[in-house]
Amino acid sequence: MSDAPERRFIIEMGMGNDLYGGDQTKAAARAIEDALRHSSIPLFEVRGLPHDAMRVAVTVAVPNPESVDTEALKSALPRGRVTVRAVEGGLLVRSPASPDGIIMASASVEAYLPAQY
Amino acid sequence: MAPLLIEFGMGTSLRRQDYTEAALRGLKDALWHNSINLAELFGKDKTDMRLCCVIGVQQPDKVDVSKLADVFPYGQPTFHVEKGGLDIPRPDYEGGGRPTVIANVAIKVSLEGVS
Repeated sequence: MSDAPERRFIIEMGMGNDLYGGDQTKAAARAIEDALRHSSIPLFEVRGLPHDAMRVAVTVAVPNPESVDTEALKSALPRGRVTVRAVEGGLLVRSPASPDGIIMASASVEAYLPAQY
Repeated sequence: MAPLLIEFGMGTSLRRQDYTEAALRGLKDALWHNSINLAELFGKDKTDMRLCCVIGVQQPDKVDVSKLADVFPYGQPTFHVEKGGLDIPRPDYEGGGRPTVIANVAIKVSLEGVS
């Protein structure tokens, strides 16, 4: 099975924000959590596959990606072999209540398994 | 058939106490938080997907499931509506009005021929 070509079988998508602290990593962590909590993947137990058969590629998009601690974000992904990258995107929303602006982050969590046929 | 993936969503009806609309929005929330290529992973066709949709609202008999099937671009959905979700009453000072409705939705995805 490990010779089989890799297939992406799900993209989990989420939104997170930091309202008052201007913290890009916090917003990104919340976006990842939002993505993960909208699905469950019982196919490992159903098919008898180990979780580390899965490769997980996480992308977070925020206004200032260089300020994101991508190593810290890895711990939010409990299963599989994980990489995290930060790119420019999301949204910075000006608000009188938020001196640093509201940081909105998008997260995509892409999961890959070897083809199962 | 055992579910291979389960998607979760929340839908609401703010003022009209429309349980069908809340269920519909919950289905959309579940569907559009994820992009699934499960059929391709198992060498199956998209039409082999079987979708069991479980919907929780406080008044399950008010959900018209005939209005829900169209939201699915492909796959064969079945619907199980049960008591769940949440109704939030309006405060007394508003002098009447319908509660705000929350629907909880779980979509269990199976594939014909994969167990």
